[in-house]
Amino acid sequence: MKDVKPIFSALMRNKIGVALIVLQVAITLAVVCNSVFIILERAERVGKPSGMDEANTFLIGSGGFTRDYDIKGAIRQDLDLIRSLPGVVGATQTNSVPMSWGGWGTGIDTQPMDPNGERRAKGSAIYMGDEQAIEAFGLKLVEGRAFGPEDVMELTQESGITAKSIIVTEALAKALFPEGSAVGQQVYGIANDNGVVTIVGVVERMQKPWPTSRDVEFSTIVPLREGEGSGARYLIRTEPGMRDQLMKEVEAKLVAANPHRIVRDDRTIETVRLEAYRGDRAMMTILIAVMVALLIVTGAGIVGLASFWVTRRIKQIGTRRALGARRLNIRSYFQTENGLMIGMGIVLGVVMTYGFNIWLMQNYDAERLPWYYLPLGAAAVFALGQLAVLGPARRAAQVSPAVATRTA
Amino acid sequence: MLVMRSLSKVYRTHLVETHALRDFNLTVRDGEFVAVTGPSGSGKTTFLNIAGLLEEFTGGEYHLDSVDVRGLDDNARSRLRNEKIGFIFQGFNLIPDLNLFDNVDVPLRYRGLKSAERKKRIEHALTRVGLASRMRHYPAELSGGQQQRVAIARALAGEPKILLADEPTGNLDSLMARGVMELLEEINQQGTTIIMVTHDPEPAARAHRNVHIIDGQVTDLAGAPPLRNATEALVANG
Amino acid sequence: MLGYYFWLAARSLRRNAILTALMIAAIALGIGASMTSLTVLRAMSGNPLAHKDDVVRRPQVDNWAPARGWNQNDPNDLPNLFTYQDAKAFYDAQKAKYQAIMFPNVLSVEPANREVKPYMATVLFTHGDMFPMFDIPFLHGGGWSKAQDDGNARVAVLSRATSEKLFGAEDPIGRTVRLGGEDFAVVGVMNYWDPRPHFYEVSSGGFQTAEEIYLPFNLGIERELNSSANNNCWQDPGQGYEAWLASDCVWLAYWLELESASDADEYKAFIDAYVTEQKKLGRFPRPLNNQFHTVSSWLEGQRVVSRDVRTQAWMSAAFLIVCLINTIGLLLAKFMARASEIGLRRAVGASKRQIFAQYLTEAGVVGVAGALIGLVVTAGGLAGLRLLYGEDGGATGLLARLDTTMVIVTALVAIAASIAAGLYPTWRACGITPATQLKSN
Repeated sequence: MKDVKPIFSALMRNKIGVALIVLQVAITLAVVCNSVFIILERAERVGKPSGMDEANTFLIGSGGFTRDYDIKGAIRQDLDLIRSLPGVVGATQTNSVPMSWGGWGTGIDTQPMDPNGERRAKGSAIYMGDEQAIEAFGLKLVEGRAFGPEDVMELTQESGITAKSIIVTEALAKALFPEGSAVGQQVYGIANDNGVVTIVGVVERMQKPWPTSRDVEFSTIVPLREGEGSGARYLIRTEPGMRDQLMKEVEAKLVAANPHRIVRDDRTIETVRLEAYRGDRAMMTILIAVMVALLIVTGAGIVGLASFWVTRRIKQIGTRRALGARRLNIRSYFQTENGLMIGMGIVLGVVMTYGFNIWLMQNYDAERLPWYYLPLGAAAVFALGQLAVLGPARRAAQVSPAVATRTA
Repeated sequence: MLVMRSLSKVYRTHLVETHALRDFNLTVRDGEFVAVTGPSGSGKTTFLNIAGLLEEFTGGEYHLDSVDVRGLDDNARSRLRNEKIGFIFQGFNLIPDLNLFDNVDVPLRYRGLKSAERKKRIEHALTRVGLASRMRHYPAELSGGQQQRVAIARALAGEPKILLADEPTGNLDSLMARGVMELLEEINQQGTTIIMVTHDPEPAARAHRNVHIIDGQVTDLAGAPPLRNATEALVANG
Repeated sequence: MLGYYFWLAARSLRRNAILTALMIAAIALGIGASMTSLTVLRAMSGNPLAHKDDVVRRPQVDNWAPARGWNQNDPNDLPNLFTYQDAKAFYDAQKAKYQAIMFPNVLSVEPANREVKPYMATVLFTHGDMFPMFDIPFLHGGGWSKAQDDGNARVAVLSRATSEKLFGAEDPIGRTVRLGGEDFAVVGVMNYWDPRPHFYEVSSGGFQTAEEIYLPFNLGIERELNSSANNNCWQDPGQGYEAWLASDCVWLAYWLELESASDADEYKAFIDAYVTEQKKLGRFPRPLNNQFHTVSSWLEGQRVVSRDVRTQAWMSAAFLIVCLINTIGLLLAKFMARASEIGLRRAVGASKRQIFAQYLTEAGVVGVAGALIGLVVTAGGLAGLRLLYGEDGGATGLLARLDTTMVIVTALVAIAASIAAGLYPTWRACGITPATQLKSN
């Protein structure tokens, strides 16, 4: 440890050169820690299951174009047709699907809604579905029952929601009823005029359509079917391997069965997922690229500067060797010098990392960086520095002691 | 040519003041060949640096070719150096990446001469030192003596009034050293003033006059006696 | 002299090719990364109505729940859409030079031309004032009049693409289009108009393509439609369309243009007076905090520029700084290693200024090379963004394009940055005293 002081003093004779490396190391640490944090956060989000059988499910839409389009008849006819096709496991008419970034939401509570709008309720997504909703979405029923045809009500502007039963996700059920089963319980927020609906079933999981929502696992399926308008959307789940073929078949059959409408917007759920998380995945890629480039540039800078210092001190190194220093001593001198410099960079870097994180938190709703990122980041950066100085240190160690006596 | 009166140079660090030159007086006339001798640490190098406008001095006067150099800014000093002075160093100081032609070219570039004029001077200078045939070679391919001769060519190409040489034969064996000294004598005979710093008695003997520096002050000795006698004289005079 | 310096610089850089390549690469990467994200950032931060920024306005009023605000974390973040009642009240008052209520939806299109299959088109229900207010250019015809608005006339304005799809190169003015099962007369065809951001309606992110067909607002109400973008209620509106229209649910955009900027205070007072009066009727339970935005303050408040893009911009900026510091360090090392040559040149008569010029040139060569390659890296980076984000999908993919301005900006920034990086090492180089360097042999 005593050795460190003279190495440090010698190092500080080149204040500017040291400052340049210290700055680079500090900024690198700040960027790397914060980037890794964001990357892991996004990776976690992107990896979450939606609750659907994503590989075997697709959406298809229908839009009538006459003013008096018979939507009720059309939906009934379409669903009968689709369900009759071999390979279809389940089909339902719905308003949205998880990950699609568009849908309906409301507050659900065990008490009547507060007339002042105070939010005590749990914010939940609402999905329309009929008796085949569970099969079509590919959900896992863990309690209670699925809807029967008698549960399904028509939805119009005039009628509002007249359904009496709902199915909720397990997460929502536990949030509303921490003790005991939610099945059979009554809740407010769905039916018109502060009426109640009864929970008849609980599914294991189903995400909201908005992946970044708080409580993204709070969803509710309401047994409804479109009663007016001209547009309808069907969610269809198939046997494994039959999805692509059935997509084409369903489209063709729907067009043939009813020419007074446009069949469009067929999309697989896999595509929905891809599009939903495209931004997150892009962000991860970009941050990784910047991080890698940063580490390379900083590493190269350290190599360059270390090489230069070795060259400048060749005579000094030779003299040391002539006076008895072994190769190992020379190498460790340079590694210690490097370690001191990186260490200073890390100290400054810790301050910068937190500063950067706090700023991201204030302006961009980021989360606080967990403390363990810093020692891990510091270790990585330190290792980078030592790796970078390996070459120059070895070159220094090769300097011949005879150099000490030469004048030129 | 060169007049220094009561020149002093003080180096100050945090704790220590070093008087490298004190009350230094020297006059060198046009066409003289002066050897400056003295023990190490006596101030010879400082004197040469100041004479060559490489360093500033603390007190006194210095006139070079009738120009008072005190108060000149960096640009003026550089120009004076470029036009009037030629340097020859102990370590040759040739630029290793450039060939001989380009090395001799360096001072001429700062003169603002046209390319044709430069070419003429370079060829002339290299011919004078006998190395014109190796114009496109690199310093690493030459012997020590040859490199010093290129350095002399570089110094001459600018047609300086005065040559300042710092231990010009210090890195050369006796054969090469003799060759270089002969060249210097020749140059001096053709009219260039030369001030040479050395502690080797042989080159010193070739000069017209020896100037001895001890502890930053001049002890001027006229004539060209061997150094041994000069020291005795000094001791005798107290 | 400059030729000499370039020649010397070339020799020096070539001699240590790896170091030179490293410096150039570092600058190029740093420039490339930061210019890529800056391009996207700049495109996203655009204001399509910048030339009218003080007169085109968007009010915001707070009709939200007594017990909670629109945004729990920010009391100044108000509902970004209007109720039917309030929008209609403002519109009917006709207090501005132009005013329009708008909402988007989707209608079926049955082309007369049998070769084109029926499809669903995006529609914007709006008032005729929107066209002059937003300076929308027309290829044929124009918007509709207030009389036509009031009379629920069956008229339509088509986007250029829609007109070309349905009618080819012909002038369709006077022809009919069948939308949602009903016939409409075409009164105008817009020229290319696709503002980025889609400033007038940003609840779907803000960079969606402009609507394909424009119809009078009252027709949307007649069809009992609501917005296909965002509909938000803080309490149950009740059943039926009448109840919807009378509710405190927000779903409409309302824009106006003032005669001149000096009228702003007067209109704001009008808004305040309206809300105060509504409060007497029991509505607007929250504190009076009406806002009267310009397009730029509206876009800013709505946070149209995505967080990710901003974060990327900052990361790239940090990267650029590291690259520049790196270059300074390497240049410094390189120049200091030639101290004896510098000393020599000074000894033979080079002035400090001449040494400065020589080494600045060398730094400059590295800089210019880095700048040129940086441009290529920027183009590559933008192409990469288009690949990652998809050209049709997210805003970033759409906007990741180099235009002439950005090319020039990139080149200038790169050269300025490199020269800045070269200044310190060059300054150190010319500070080398000839005396000390020459005797150190």
